[in-house]
Amino acid sequence: MEKISKPTEIKHQLGHMEVDHYHYTVGLAGERFFTALREEGKLLGARCESCGVTYIPPRIYCEECFAELDEYVDLGLEGEVRSFTIARIDRDGRPLDPPEIRALISFGEDTTDLLHLLGEVEPEEVYIGMEVEAVLKPKREREGKVTDIRYFRPIK
Amino acid sequence: MREVSIVGIGYTSFSPVTPDLSWKELMFEAATRAYADAGIDPRKDVQSFITCAEDYWEGFSIFDEFTPDQLGAALRLMHTVAGDGLLGLANAYMQIKTGLFDIVVVEAHSKISDLLTYEDVLMLAFDPIYEAPLGGHPHYLAGLEMREYLAWTGTTEEECAAVAVKNKWNALRNPLAPYGAAIAREDVLSSPYLFAPLKKLEIAPLVDGAIVLVLAEGELARRLTDKAVLLEGIGWSSESPWVGTRLPDARYARLAAELAYAQAGITNPIQEIDLAEVDDRFAYKELQHLEALGLARPGEAGQLLLEGAFDLDGQLPVNLSGGSLGMGDAVEAGGLQRALEIILQLRGEAGARQLPDPEVGLAMSWRGLPHGSGAVAIFRREA
Ligand SMILES: [Zn+2]
Repeated sequence: MEKISKPTEIKHQLGHMEVDHYHYTVGLAGERFFTALREEGKLLGARCESCGVTYIPPRIYCEECFAELDEYVDLGLEGEVRSFTIARIDRDGRPLDPPEIRALISFGEDTTDLLHLLGEVEPEEVYIGMEVEAVLKPKREREGKVTDIRYFRPIK
Repeated sequence: MREVSIVGIGYTSFSPVTPDLSWKELMFEAATRAYADAGIDPRKDVQSFITCAEDYWEGFSIFDEFTPDQLGAALRLMHTVAGDGLLGLANAYMQIKTGLFDIVVVEAHSKISDLLTYEDVLMLAFDPIYEAPLGGHPHYLAGLEMREYLAWTGTTEEECAAVAVKNKWNALRNPLAPYGAAIAREDVLSSPYLFAPLKKLEIAPLVDGAIVLVLAEGELARRLTDKAVLLEGIGWSSESPWVGTRLPDARYARLAAELAYAQAGITNPIQEIDLAEVDDRFAYKELQHLEALGLARPGEAGQLLLEGAFDLDGQLPVNLSGGSLGMGDAVEAGGLQRALEIILQLRGEAGARQLPDPEVGLAMSWRGLPHGSGAVAIFRREA
């Protein structure tokens, strides 16, 4: 193969792959989760009685036994930090100051964990097992989105 | 029982950028070399072609329709696997094993330098309702998993840093690896905490390149070449896509390995496997994967690494190619990049990093963030 050896002779064409117009269906379990969050300020999970597992976010099926799930339970707004990371750059590689603290929040032994952010805490103060509570947006600002939870903060 | 062998390998250089060649030309170059290596004519001898790709990496949709011509596959049987190269290899294995075909070609490539917004595209792999709206740089998930892996196993940050030191050093002996470097553990530990405890030098940089493998039925393989390498087993597994449902134990790797070991008749992997190439796109993943594969007991991979067990002259050399930390993260070509090193070693063609007499090698891939799926392939040198 004869190859190009002069960089000035290399040609590119800029393109744009348009992918930002979707209408994502939240589904049956998502309706329950986001309605409870928006209207009542509650976090719901879906319970599989036979496996003894509660899923948050809720789903209409159990990934262990494949049962259809229709039992929703209020998990409360308090949990603990299962793991966390201090993110110091944003998606474009720019430094984040203050950094973002991202965490997996556990709502108990038999419950799957929720990915979210921590706030009102310094990075060096966070530890695995730290007890935290959800800080919700005021009801009039809630839209039925995962960002209706602003972040989780340490329980004083 | 029909056997499956690798009879041809072809690959381009691996480079952070390849501004002169289009992705199709990269594939053509690797394919041409693979067919020459196997001594076959793709227009006459190959019965089935398999490519591995993901539309978003390529920048256009319905990738599979764009692949036949540059592989010599026009008007022939072909399909695309939307996943890592080892999954394509698994498809080829089954096609030959079942007797459907005798010669099958597998291709995977990366032209990821064409993508100007890698992080944005990677973020599109996150759940659009529950995860993506939280924003951020997608690598934060690796920082989350790393911290939990360390807490679970007692593995230390020093041990994770040592993975990057080893693999970048190994890469210095691999002419195909652009990210080789002689660095000290201190260099890794003092590189910025981007997603603490994950550090900058523990993240594999991206790379371009293409790999093509030619597979043949065992008896035919022996007639075609005297350097056939047996593919004795291949397994794969997908865990829950929900980050909060998975544990930091890479169960996908364990389940994939169990299937591959059973097919290959391996009962004691530590004793029977001579070298391994495992996904290391984030340094801690190498240790986590080695434990999941049964090549170290849980929590012991880091200590074994510090003792030299996974070095070139250790009891189980790991990522002699340099891994992804040394060769670069070739997206869906990552699994074939791992397999390539095993095949080169078993053929005795690994140059300055050649092991004396390896018989059995393992290649393992992970699909990457944010998911928990992987594949394992076991290769054996012909007796
Ligand atoms: Zn169940």
